[in-house]
Amino acid sequence: MFVRSMHKCCRVCLKSSTRSNAFSYFIKRQLNTKTARKLTNEEARHKRNEIFNEERARQLAFITRIEKIQVEHKGPPEDCTLIMNKGLSTPFNCAMHIGELLMNRSVLALVNGKPWDMHRPLIEDCELQFLHMKDENPFLSNQAFWRSCSFILGYVLETAFKNDYYVELCSFPVPNVTSGSFVYDADLKLQDWSPSAMELNCLSRVGQSLRFSDFRFERLDIDASVALKMFEENRFKSEQIPQIAGKSETGSSVTVYRMGDHIDITRGPLMGSTGMLSRFSVTAVHRIESPLYGPLSRVQGIAIPMSLKLHYWTYEFLMKRATKLNPAPIPTAFQAKPINETVNKKGKENDN
Amino acid sequence: MAAPCRKIINQFVKRSLKCFEPRVIPCRWSNTVRNHTVEKHRHSPLSSTRELVNQQDSPSDVMVPREFRFVHPDFLPYPVWNRRDRVREKLEREDMLKRRAVIDIPEFYVGSIMAVTLADKNAPGKQNRFVGICIDRAGHGLYHYFVLRNAIDGQGVEIKYDMYNPLLLKIEVLKLEKRLDPQLYYLRDAPLEYSTFRLDMEPVSVLKGAQVPLNAIKVKMNPRPWCRRWERHNLKGVLPLDDYITEKMKKQKQHPQIEKPWEKHDLMLKARTSIDDREVDQIMTEVYKRKEKIQKEKFQKRGQEGKREVKKAQEVKK
Amino acid sequence: MNMFRFPVRNTPRKFKKSFGVGSGPAERIKKLQMLVTALIRNERLEAKESYCLETRGYVEQLIQIAIRNGDRHAETMEKADFWLLEKDLVHKLFKVLVPRYQNYSTACTDFHFLPKKVPGSGVQMGILELKGNPWPPVVPRQRDQGHLLTNVLLSSAKAEYRMEKKITPDLRNGDHDKLEQAANT
Repeated sequence: MFVRSMHKCCRVCLKSSTRSNAFSYFIKRQLNTKTARKLTNEEARHKRNEIFNEERARQLAFITRIEKIQVEHKGPPEDCTLIMNKGLSTPFNCAMHIGELLMNRSVLALVNGKPWDMHRPLIEDCELQFLHMKDENPFLSNQAFWRSCSFILGYVLETAFKNDYYVELCSFPVPNVTSGSFVYDADLKLQDWSPSAMELNCLSRVGQSLRFSDFRFERLDIDASVALKMFEENRFKSEQIPQIAGKSETGSSVTVYRMGDHIDITRGPLMGSTGMLSRFSVTAVHRIESPLYGPLSRVQGIAIPMSLKLHYWTYEFLMKRATKLNPAPIPTAFQAKPINETVNKKGKENDN
Repeated sequence: MAAPCRKIINQFVKRSLKCFEPRVIPCRWSNTVRNHTVEKHRHSPLSSTRELVNQQDSPSDVMVPREFRFVHPDFLPYPVWNRRDRVREKLEREDMLKRRAVIDIPEFYVGSIMAVTLADKNAPGKQNRFVGICIDRAGHGLYHYFVLRNAIDGQGVEIKYDMYNPLLLKIEVLKLEKRLDPQLYYLRDAPLEYSTFRLDMEPVSVLKGAQVPLNAIKVKMNPRPWCRRWERHNLKGVLPLDDYITEKMKKQKQHPQIEKPWEKHDLMLKARTSIDDREVDQIMTEVYKRKEKIQKEKFQKRGQEGKREVKKAQEVKK
Repeated sequence: MNMFRFPVRNTPRKFKKSFGVGSGPAERIKKLQMLVTALIRNERLEAKESYCLETRGYVEQLIQIAIRNGDRHAETMEKADFWLLEKDLVHKLFKVLVPRYQNYSTACTDFHFLPKKVPGSGVQMGILELKGNPWPPVVPRQRDQGHLLTNVLLSSAKAEYRMEKKITPDLRNGDHDKLEQAANT
């Protein structure tokens, strides 16, 4: 078995800009020399990172004078008031002042009742609460975790394959925990590829290793033109960006997140860092047919956070369920829904 | 060399046979379930019987006469709750009603004068009739009994009858009345004139619907020795016993260990040793309904028989 | 059948002599009077397990007869007068506790075991309380864990499993009706 796979496999090196570049994997796949391209995922990633850094530096340059804001924290360990820097301090910085427990366990923050990323700067006087996975009703944390897992799945697909294969990520649907799996739809450029258990395991390990990398999710709101420049190599994203920008509040802004060196478009919010992952598995790759984009691969996975424990038997049972095709809508056009809808959905799930 | 070999083989065979022997399981563990365990499951809302029982015998449907429970104390079950079995009680009640459909058991109390006819294969006419005063009635369910006392040839005679004994042929109440005490065993230590009744006594009729008359007679006891310490029993139907007892006995009687004044207010003692009123109502409703049903059936049967007789008579006339 | 709404021993417990009372059945009743009065007054009691469980029966019976007979019943009034050493509690029994427990189908008291003290005498202590008392609860409120991520995953998996089972009938038991239903749907 091993010899056979060696024959068809080739060595893949992961290169990440910050910490981990020593992970190597064997991935069994069929060589197809006809579809070789010049553009690689690595180059695209590098370019996006440069634009992201430039844009962030530009936005930071607007803050010339540090102003103070008053943040009122509510909840355990005690209610308190903090004086923080406007446009610089994040909820994570507030948690650093309050206690280590909040730093470690908080998935999301509630700023004036709205979900807010842990690493997104605060912009005004506000009331702050921290959410974690074991809350009384952890719906928002669950959603954020599931969305982050989809995001990570995109990272896995982009980095796990050899440079010969240019993987184009399409989009992922609204997170739905009850469906049993999170999803990323992408064009893998691999016709008739049905991954073996070993290959799925290799993909899972790419995601699982992020737990030790402990990457933060950084949020940045950028102009649509910048976003188009950033994602010009990706045919799906460049089609989606004008629609996303049209539905935003200002009419021309797009929200982008960065984890390590991976950048993707999502409305958010996402969890604090990848250190909260406990187990991460890629369970299945299904072939779907999109009327707009043609044949796509629906990659599914399942993960649980660090703070929740699960017996391995139970986890494997859930993994088995996650191999079934997820019933989420197939990407046709822009799918992102306004925030109000998610609030309604929350109410529905509570009823159930 | 052969002998030890055979021994070993024998042992081996014995061991291998042992596993085919039936294992002896103690009888008490094999197929018995302790009563309170069964009760627990009967109480659970999953059990279907409970609801049915409640539907059948809800006391709101049928108005049972208030004195019904005093007329039929034999239907009340054994009051110690942990030794009771509801199914057995129900079956017993069914049996009792079946017996009552055959033999007429009239209303009577302690103090009533009764005559009982019993099948006796050694007696002339194979029957034995005894008349006496009822001095006690007790026992629960099918084991209810009453004791009759009379003085015959200057000798006190007491006979205990099981009420549901199939050998009983007839129970008559010659004089329906009550006495002041729940038991009249003190008549044993009273002059015989108080427990002497003529064997050919004629029944005294009582008006239907009238209250049961109370015989407030006070018995004058014989001097000691007695069969029991009657001075400690707070008897009401007896003339004062002060003349018969010593000072020491009077003092002893007032001792708290004998008087036990705390038992009067002991709520749990009462709850443990008596049947709850609500349950009594439930049982009496059930009995009352069954009795009415049996009576209806009886009437119907009589009516049919009557019709047949009329028909026969007509045919004969023709 | 058994009209008790709480576990009852077949035989009453004997009490040893303690503060203010001696031994024997008469003194036992005296001790119980004190305990019943204290429970009705404070609505919660911490004592030896045996004291608590004996007191429980008397308090339950007292409240039951008060509910059944009301305050116009001479015998009930006499019992209340006997068991409640402080007479203002008679008023509390009929005006506060009877309305509170009128519609209860369960016992009106709760018993909780306390841990044994080590080192100590090794006596089992307990807490007896009237239900619906104003004190903070003895047992803390359990959080609803149904919305945790893992539990949401598991419950949805369970629902899906049941649905599948409903649709695919068990042919071993000869569920042909179910099979037809499934075919129709």
